[in-house]
Amino acid sequence: MTRTIPILVGLAVTAILTIVLCIFIGPAGFGIPSLGPGAADIVGGIRLPRVLAAFFVGGSLAVAGAAMQALFRNPMADPYILGTSSGGALGASLAIVFLGGFFVPVFAWIGAVLAILIVWSIAGRRGVISVETLLLTGIAVSFFFSALVSFLIAIAGQNVHQIIFWLMGGLWNVSPSDAILSACILVPAGALLFFMGRDLNALSLGEETAAHLGIDATRARWAVLGGCTILVASAVSIAGAIGFIGLITPHIVRILLGPDNRVVILASILVGGIILVISDTLARTFFSDLPVGIITAFIGAPFFIWLIYQRGDSR
Amino acid sequence: MNDRLSLDAENLHAGYCMEDIVKAVSCSFAEGTFAGIIGPNGSGKTTLLKAFSRVIPSSGILELNGKAVTGYSPAELGMALGFVPQDEGRPFSYTVLQVVLMARYARTSRFAALAPDDYTRCHVVLEETGIAHLSDRSIRTLSGGEWQRVLIARALAQDTQVLLLDEPTSHLDLSHQSDILSLMRSLAASGSTIIGVFHDLNLAAHYCDRLIMMQNGQIVADGTPALVLTHEKIREVYGADVVTSFHPATGRTFLMPLSTPPGAIAPDKTQNVLVISGGGSGTDLLHFLSRRGYYLKAGILATTDTDYLTVKALQIPCVEVLPFSEIPAHSLAEFRDLLARADRIILAVHPVGTGNLPVLLALREADPSRVILHLPEGRDFVSFDYAKGAAAAALTDLCAAGAQCTASFNGILGLLDIAPHERAQPPV
Repeated sequence: MTRTIPILVGLAVTAILTIVLCIFIGPAGFGIPSLGPGAADIVGGIRLPRVLAAFFVGGSLAVAGAAMQALFRNPMADPYILGTSSGGALGASLAIVFLGGFFVPVFAWIGAVLAILIVWSIAGRRGVISVETLLLTGIAVSFFFSALVSFLIAIAGQNVHQIIFWLMGGLWNVSPSDAILSACILVPAGALLFFMGRDLNALSLGEETAAHLGIDATRARWAVLGGCTILVASAVSIAGAIGFIGLITPHIVRILLGPDNRVVILASILVGGIILVISDTLARTFFSDLPVGIITAFIGAPFFIWLIYQRGDSR
Repeated sequence: MNDRLSLDAENLHAGYCMEDIVKAVSCSFAEGTFAGIIGPNGSGKTTLLKAFSRVIPSSGILELNGKAVTGYSPAELGMALGFVPQDEGRPFSYTVLQVVLMARYARTSRFAALAPDDYTRCHVVLEETGIAHLSDRSIRTLSGGEWQRVLIARALAQDTQVLLLDEPTSHLDLSHQSDILSLMRSLAASGSTIIGVFHDLNLAAHYCDRLIMMQNGQIVADGTPALVLTHEKIREVYGADVVTSFHPATGRTFLMPLSTPPGAIAPDKTQNVLVISGGGSGTDLLHFLSRRGYYLKAGILATTDTDYLTVKALQIPCVEVLPFSEIPAHSLAEFRDLLARADRIILAVHPVGTGNLPVLLALREADPSRVILHLPEGRDFVSFDYAKGAAAAALTDLCAAGAQCTASFNGILGLLDIAPHERAQPPV
């Protein structure tokens, strides 16, 4: 398509403008001059890492969602479908309940990756794995982990608040190292998924089809799932289980640019980043730092419904 | 014809989950072949095709263009073998062109863009398959037949030596079926190796040089359509009865299913009925009477006559003669014998010329009270007369002498129920 490049460039410019603009917006006021002394600390030490982390986390979730939707041949798939969020939630809850809130990101990361590994190994027991088996196993494992999380909530006592806030997802505790870490994961994993874009196109029509078109379907599937796992686990460990970005962003992108996954992967990173940066800025500026997952779902769900009725076919 | 083998399978076993669906299949395909795989549902046709394309694991020897299939990388395989599936899910709104361009992925590095040649090739196959006008349409808006042509176009754009087709025309209308299969035949003529699974046996017989019939995962017949599509084989494998013949217009083997298998209804009527017909005038009547259990005989029929095929299919005894020749005296004598022994004689009125006039004259000598004439509605004897009036005269004469005439099958049944001697004699 001839309009692909201009739209991608437009999105990149919008992303940069959004990041810059949102760095200067916050509860302490707009712009650097109005802040007075300490402005450099607020902007450079707090807002900059938080906005960048929001961008990379949003981009990670969105690109993983796009890849998972193609891989599972299902536009309703989201990046948490293989149990990453419930695994991460279990890890985080354990850290909150038993370690007094230390090591929450590490435990969340381990929980998220562990969930996927469990799903893989259960689904892979009989040799050949179909994506349907993976999907169903993922749903089952998710429910199991959610049950454990609910159990921890029930016995958590005064820590309930902390677990629930983690589950809703937010970027309060973001440090500069988180921003760097998420960038260091998004860039290579995003590049991997971008170069798997054609494989994803073929896989989205079926694994046999991909094989007939000369794609190494098994290798491609593992590469995509591996990349998505790292992306989602990192996003979850930094910001909790932020919903809707991974589900909705690829749809918006496909409406703008069509379903070719090379384009969808690139644009999802940009659009997912933009959405989370704006949502997080709204959350911390106007809603006294509400969990951003509430904002994304609150805006995302009606928007999604509008999309469905507007397009009739938003794939 | 080239003798180089494109695909060679020996003792191939394949299936899902440890269970072999294809068992010990050995067959090979030379370049320039258009072969059809046929067989009833569940006989392993599609499984065999997918074993060929390596998406279903198999054991045994499988060579593609002289090299073991296991030695191919996925991309090499995608350049050597194309596959058209029965159908494919369409979860996303790719354009037709985007889907067809996927054929070129195997030839393109993941770090490079598709070349202008790839686009050119895809536009050519879109033209060839008659869907160039759809190239920018979303695949989700296509009809089943349009989508099937996209899948065919994509396989063609892979530019492979071997092309495997799984019921490639199941969603296509008549004209697109013949367009696509003619295209396949011309590809085979220019050296490609085309192997297709077909449910429509007539279509397979018409387009393929070779048919492979499968049953329970094994090959039960392999050869030219005429050799494979025999009445006996089809009854054995499909459990259905058909008339096999050669299509009058194309000369290819041709099948017609029979609604009533011969011998399914044993004759239970005591009456011995002789049916005289020709040129198809007796086809329906023979089926009608056979279904009602009459004990039938027929005569005199040339072996090229449509009614002759019916008689053979229904296994009705018949006096047969060579086509386009004078009726020999011994056949006429045999016929006279049948006339004398028949309880009832039905003449399904048909064109009579000097060649078959002797049949009518022999009938004229029979007892008219036993004769029933079946004259189609709105026709008269003269319209069937190609013997300068002699035929019409003989028929009129027959009626005057007491033969009954009716236009309907039920009329015939009514007349058959009344024995000739019970009937009122016609006024003299």
